[in-house]
Amino acid sequence: MIKEIRQTVKQLFDQNNIDIFIGYTEGTLPLRKTPCFITKAEDVDKLVWDSFCTNNLTVYLPRFFVPKPREKEPKWPKVGILVSGCTGRSLVGLFKEKQVPRENIVIVGVPCDGVVDIKKIKGIEINEGSENKDAIIIKDKTGKEKEFKKDDLLADICVSCSCSVPPVHDYLTKGKGRVTMVPYTGVKEFEKMSREERWAYFEEQVSKCIRCYACRASCPNCWCKLCFVDHTLPQWTGITNNVSDVMFYHIGRIFHQAGRCVDCGACVAACPVDIDLRKFTYKLIEDVKVFYGYEAGLSLEELPPLSTYKPDDEQEFMTEP
Amino acid sequence: MPATIKKITVENEARDLKTFDLVFNNNKDVNKFKYICGQFAEISVLGAGEVPIGIASSPLDEEFVQFTVKKYTTGVVTTALHNLDQGDKIGIRGPFGNGFPMKDFEGSNLLIVGGGFAVTTLRSTIKYMLHKKNRSMFKNIILLYGARNPGELLYKNEMIEWGKRDDIDVHLTVDHGDKDWTGNVGLVPNILREIAPSSDNSICILCGPPIMVKYTIIVLINLGFTPERIITSLEMRMKCGIGKCGRCNIGPKYVCKDGPVFTYKELQGMPNEY
Amino acid sequence: MKQRIIKKNKVMDLLSSLSESYRIYVAGEEKEISRFYEFNPEREILWDYSNTLIPAKEILFPQNQTLYEYRDQDITESNAKIPDTIIFGVRPCDAHAFTLMDKVFDTQEFQDPYYLKRHKATLIISLACNIPGIACFCTSFNSGPDGEKGSDIILHDLGEKLLVKSVTEKGEELLAKAGKDFSDPAQTDIDSKNKIMESAKQKISPQVNIANLKEKLDQAFDADFWDTLHRKCLGCAVCTYLCPTCHCFDITDETEKEVGRRIRCWDSCQFPLFTLHASGHNPRPTYKERMRQRIMHKFNYCPENFDHTFCVGCGRCVINCPVNLDIREVIKEING
Repeated sequence: MIKEIRQTVKQLFDQNNIDIFIGYTEGTLPLRKTPCFITKAEDVDKLVWDSFCTNNLTVYLPRFFVPKPREKEPKWPKVGILVSGCTGRSLVGLFKEKQVPRENIVIVGVPCDGVVDIKKIKGIEINEGSENKDAIIIKDKTGKEKEFKKDDLLADICVSCSCSVPPVHDYLTKGKGRVTMVPYTGVKEFEKMSREERWAYFEEQVSKCIRCYACRASCPNCWCKLCFVDHTLPQWTGITNNVSDVMFYHIGRIFHQAGRCVDCGACVAACPVDIDLRKFTYKLIEDVKVFYGYEAGLSLEELPPLSTYKPDDEQEFMTEP
Repeated sequence: MPATIKKITVENEARDLKTFDLVFNNNKDVNKFKYICGQFAEISVLGAGEVPIGIASSPLDEEFVQFTVKKYTTGVVTTALHNLDQGDKIGIRGPFGNGFPMKDFEGSNLLIVGGGFAVTTLRSTIKYMLHKKNRSMFKNIILLYGARNPGELLYKNEMIEWGKRDDIDVHLTVDHGDKDWTGNVGLVPNILREIAPSSDNSICILCGPPIMVKYTIIVLINLGFTPERIITSLEMRMKCGIGKCGRCNIGPKYVCKDGPVFTYKELQGMPNEY
Repeated sequence: MKQRIIKKNKVMDLLSSLSESYRIYVAGEEKEISRFYEFNPEREILWDYSNTLIPAKEILFPQNQTLYEYRDQDITESNAKIPDTIIFGVRPCDAHAFTLMDKVFDTQEFQDPYYLKRHKATLIISLACNIPGIACFCTSFNSGPDGEKGSDIILHDLGEKLLVKSVTEKGEELLAKAGKDFSDPAQTDIDSKNKIMESAKQKISPQVNIANLKEKLDQAFDADFWDTLHRKCLGCAVCTYLCPTCHCFDITDETEKEVGRRIRCWDSCQFPLFTLHASGHNPRPTYKERMRQRIMHKFNYCPENFDHTFCVGCGRCVINCPVNLDIREVIKEING
């Protein structure tokens, strides 16, 4: 698959179709891959694709298209990007919210078999690692080796993946992507708990937060120039680690994702203290599906329910509060 | 240090610039707050925060300390300050900053150029120099002060008084005049070119919005002012005011601690990040 | 200074008895977050960890610190006495970082009382690293797995025993007082420690070349490489908050009706609003300027002001950066 990706990208450069391509390359820590930006055909061999390509690359796109009100015809670059299923859905969201112009993006799609959540390897500091078709083999710093089945380490979002092929693409490499899907029941299970238990769990999770905003920074949907948390007039919430303030931030951010979050897992992977964010973002995904029959990022034409007005929208909340 | 607002003067027609006359609540704080021209203090409104404001009064003014504050629509503290009344209490922390090198000015001609509301610390300097104790230490003093329109000129009454004196040469200008304005109309760099003061044994103190400073420096260099003899004062977002919080640095220098006064020669050696 | 031996299984007793006169912080793990928690005899002492997630700087420079409280416009300063404190099991890189923080908070013109009061009351007991972590590069900064800068006492893990060495007078005083379980080291103990340290040092290949880096950066403010170095950066604060030498902070007021407090809390030069003026002007408007600020501050501005690079090679930013933006790679690209 990687040969096909490299060939496609090389062609794009040779035919002058793109100015820059965003993909993945080898990281500097064992097994890690990292985003990479290449600007010429000679660099395509840097590109890689494997089970550790976890970052959502679409988060970098809005930066290339910052509005320049003083220029009548701003010169924006043509950007190529490698996307899988969930990241491809993020991209559709960015198009719909007009943060990224469709005509300036060349989408190289890859049907994805799922990525590994390296944090699932607990209690071992990985000094070396390698992967083969079914397994991940790691060595800790004493040299002790351990093997894991890839399926056991698959990221939770991939286990329940419903869309492994990017819905919108200009090129698509061969492959079917992940076809088995085990629905995520975490929210349903959680809802069986009592209200006090649920609140206690939420409080326990967010009390770990160090307000680094890695969740916000890694989320492609968080493209606001001034986040609500940074407002000073009025100051919606405090900036310390006070649990109440932290909860306000997380609740606010998660609700701002309603109808937009595609469950790509970027926020979960970025969090340095491993807050269980998915339980709460997924709740909103389920609710939006139930109330509006809508799933984010699957089609360019479908209008997002929370920013679309229809004359027959229910008015009960006004007439019968 | 706690202080009380003795008097508030609205300085401009847009009503977003006010001068606050402050009196310290504790007498011994008066001695702790010995300042020189060009320094600033952190004005604190508890509940809103702190802001760094240049001191507008002269160090020889003993009854009060004056600050002229512009209200910004996005400014929490400046908005809170403008909502205060005479008799309200605020806090002052300071004085901070390196101030103008007054000793270096002695024996020289001074050209003082100010634009907009950056003229606050320049007013402090002029009042200090014009004081009868000090005037003889300095040679000719020329003041060129410009604002967007006549309604925006600060310290109007004082400017008029100074204009009447014979030991200072005052030139005022506005970008756009109005029906009553009889003075100069033109941008500060252009008027400066017309006045063409001599650069012989002269130092220029220049404070204003970045774009005015940029173009005025070009005129000054053409008039023969050397970079060491062009002095300016920078602004930056600050919090601690003492070089610890890491916010206001330009290169290795902190604007709060190593500045805000820098010579143009120093600026040329600093990274272009302000 | 004197060296002593203590059996590892006696350390818990030692800490328990010290906890009667000291507030003690020990490296521990709770909810999978490793940081320095208050001593609890129920919680195991970590001996084999590479480093905590949250650095020990949070003990002396907490993420949120009340500077003073106020009612209406009257201030009450907190004169609470800081109890005598011990931070136990700090890695040499974190201890080294404290010496750098001192340089910032204790300058000739201004001394920060909030940090200094705590530091004065604190004794640092560090634990040398037998097997360095995957991203450690402390040897590039005049230090190493057995670095003693910033420690009052340093421990070497010899398996069942610890070799205890006092580094400062303060450390020696403590050991002399607490002495009942200590004994004299044998030559084999010292040899064992030397062997372990040799092997540890070899495992850290000097990974960062900082020779003449400051001089190179003196000329490099407008260099081209800044245009590409910042691309991956997301603009979060993980690297700055987890860095043991990063010290930028914000000051804010929190009021409820007429009572409130002025707080200092961690801030990051990577946040877009860090240098935003009220007028709307921002001297560091994009990721490029902010990344440049971080690198220049650590490797040029601080060496200029404090004669020392503000990095201790702990590797936390490397391991925890969500996009694997590796500061070692950045230095390599600049300095070769």
